[in-house]
Amino acid sequence: MKKRKERIDRGIKVRSRDIFALCSWREMLYLAAPRLLPVVVCLALPLFLGVYWQKVLLSVAVFALLAISWDILAQTGMVSLGQALFFGIGAYFAGALNHYFGLSPFITIPAATILGGLVSTLLLLPVLRLRGIYFSMVTLIIPLMLVRVIEATKVFGGTEGLSGMTPLPSRWLELYLILGGLLLVLFGFRRMMNSDYGLVLKGINDNDRSVINAGINIYWFKIQALFIGGAIGAFAGAFMTHVYMFVGMPVFALDYSILPIAAAVVGGPGTLAGATFGAFLLVPLSEALRGFGGLRIVLYGVFLVVFIVALPEGMFHYIQRKYHQFERWVEVEND
Amino acid sequence: MLVVNNLMVFFENALALNGLSLEVREGEIVGVIGSNSAGKTTLMNAVSGLIIDMRIKEIRRGGQRISIYGNIAYKGEDITGIPPELRVKNGIVLSRERHPVFPESSVLENFRIAGYLRTKKEVREVVDYVFSLFPPLVKLKKRKAGFLSGGEQQMLAIGMALVVRPKLLLLDEPLLGLSPMMQKAVVDAIVALNKESGITVLLSEQFARPVLPVVDRAYVVENGMLTLSGTGADLMNNPEIKSAYFGV
Repeated sequence: MKKRKERIDRGIKVRSRDIFALCSWREMLYLAAPRLLPVVVCLALPLFLGVYWQKVLLSVAVFALLAISWDILAQTGMVSLGQALFFGIGAYFAGALNHYFGLSPFITIPAATILGGLVSTLLLLPVLRLRGIYFSMVTLIIPLMLVRVIEATKVFGGTEGLSGMTPLPSRWLELYLILGGLLLVLFGFRRMMNSDYGLVLKGINDNDRSVINAGINIYWFKIQALFIGGAIGAFAGAFMTHVYMFVGMPVFALDYSILPIAAAVVGGPGTLAGATFGAFLLVPLSEALRGFGGLRIVLYGVFLVVFIVALPEGMFHYIQRKYHQFERWVEVEND
Repeated sequence: MLVVNNLMVFFENALALNGLSLEVREGEIVGVIGSNSAGKTTLMNAVSGLIIDMRIKEIRRGGQRISIYGNIAYKGEDITGIPPELRVKNGIVLSRERHPVFPESSVLENFRIAGYLRTKKEVREVVDYVFSLFPPLVKLKKRKAGFLSGGEQQMLAIGMALVVRPKLLLLDEPLLGLSPMMQKAVVDAIVALNKESGITVLLSEQFARPVLPVVDRAYVVENGMLTLSGTGADLMNNPEIKSAYFGV
C-alpha cells in the first residue's frame, strides 16, 4: 500500500484555540509558553551573566532591534540595506544633544528616537516610489555618503567623533532599558502587524496596485512604516551612544546594515520574533568565534551559508511548525 | 502517445487530483474540461513536469508538501520522475495558464528565448509558420510583449511553445480572458497546427462550447476526478454537459 506523510495540527493546538483553553493548565501553558519564554529569558538572563557577556547581551538586543526594524520595512515591501542609516542618525542626534546642549540621556534617547525617525524618513522620502533593488541601493548608499560628509565638513567632531557623553546611571538600568525596549518593540509591533493597519502594510508588499485599488494611499502608509522602522533603529543608536559614551563615524559601519539582515534571514523573516531569535543566535556566535582570530569571519560565513541553504524558511518558522503540527504516515486510498 | 495512469497529487493534505487516468493518442486533439479548482492546471503541471520543480521549491522553503502518486508514460516510457527540461527535449511542451510572456522583450526576442534549444534556422521556420497561424502578430514583431493585448499575448504564448517544436503540445486554458472572436481565432489555429504539422494537442479549458466541437476526445474532470469521457460530439449531446457547461 502506498503511504504518504500527513501534516496535521496537534490536538492541543486545536483545543487551545477556543474557550476550552481556559479549562486546563496544560492548554493555557501551551498558549502562554511561547510568549512567556522571551520575556523570562530577557528579564532573567542578565542576572546569570558576567560583565563581558552582559555587554554581549546589550549588543544582541541592539541588533535584534535593528533586525526588527528591517523586518517591518521588508514586510511593507521596502528591502533596506542600510539599517546603519537609522542607527547612525539616532546615535548622532543623541550625541549632539548631549554634547552641545548637555541634556540628560533620559531626554536625548526619546528625542533622538523621534527626530531620528523623522530625519531618516525625510532622507528616504524622494526614493519612496522606487521599488525593489533601486530602493535598496539608495538605502545602502546614504549611510556611506553621510560618513564622507562628516569627514569632509568636520561637523560633530569630524573623524574624531564626539566623546564624553553622559553614561546611563547604572549597568543594570542600561541592560533592562534596552531589553525592556526590545520586548516592548517585539510584542507591540507584532500586535500591530496583525491588526488591520499591519495587514495594509503587508498588502503593500504583496500587491501594491490592489492596495491602491482599495482606496488607500500607499505612499502615506510607506512613510509611516519608514518612520516606525527608522525610529526603532534610531532608538538603538541613541542608546548605544550613551553606553559607549562616544559617537563617531563607526556608527554608519556596514556591520549595522548587514548583521540585522542576516539575523532576520536566519531567524525567519516576516514574524519579528524570528528576527529577534536570529539576533540571539548570531551575535553570541560571532562573539564565541572570536577565539579563532582571522578565521572567525570565514566560520561565520560558512555557518550562514549552511544555514540559509539547509533551512531557507528560517529557524522560527521551523520551530513554530513543529510546535503546532506533527507528521504521521497515512495510507493513500484510491477513490 | 501519453498515458496517465491513476495519477494522484496532494498539496499537503488537500487532494488536487484523485486517481485520474487518461490517454492521448498520436495526432489527436484531446480536451480536459472542468470548472475552476477541478485540477486541470495540476494535471498540466504534472504532465509537463513543472510540479517536480514546484515540489522542490516548496520543500526548500518549508511550505506545502506536494506528493505525487501514479504514473505518466510518454511513448511507452515512464516519465513520472523525469525533470521538466528533459521532457521538453523529448517533445512535451506546455503553454502555461494566463499566457506568461517575457514582458520586457520584443515578440521576436520572445521567440528566440523560447527556441533556445533549436537552431536559428529551425526557429526562423517555425516563427514564419506561427506568423501564418496568427497574422496579427506580424505587425507586432518589434513591440515589447508587455504592451500586447491579452489575446495577442496568448497567441505569442502558444507560438513560443511551438518554437520548441513539440510533439505533444499542452495548452493550459488557452482561451482564458479572450473575447469570443479571439477564442475562435485561437481554436482555429489549434486545429490548423494539429492538421498541418501533426502536433498532438492536450488542452484544458473551462469554456466547453468553443472547444468540444473541435476535439477528437474529451475528458470531464471534477474535483480531481474523471466524471465523463467520450468523443467531442458525444459530450456535446450529453444532457449533463449541456446543463453544466452550456447553461441550457
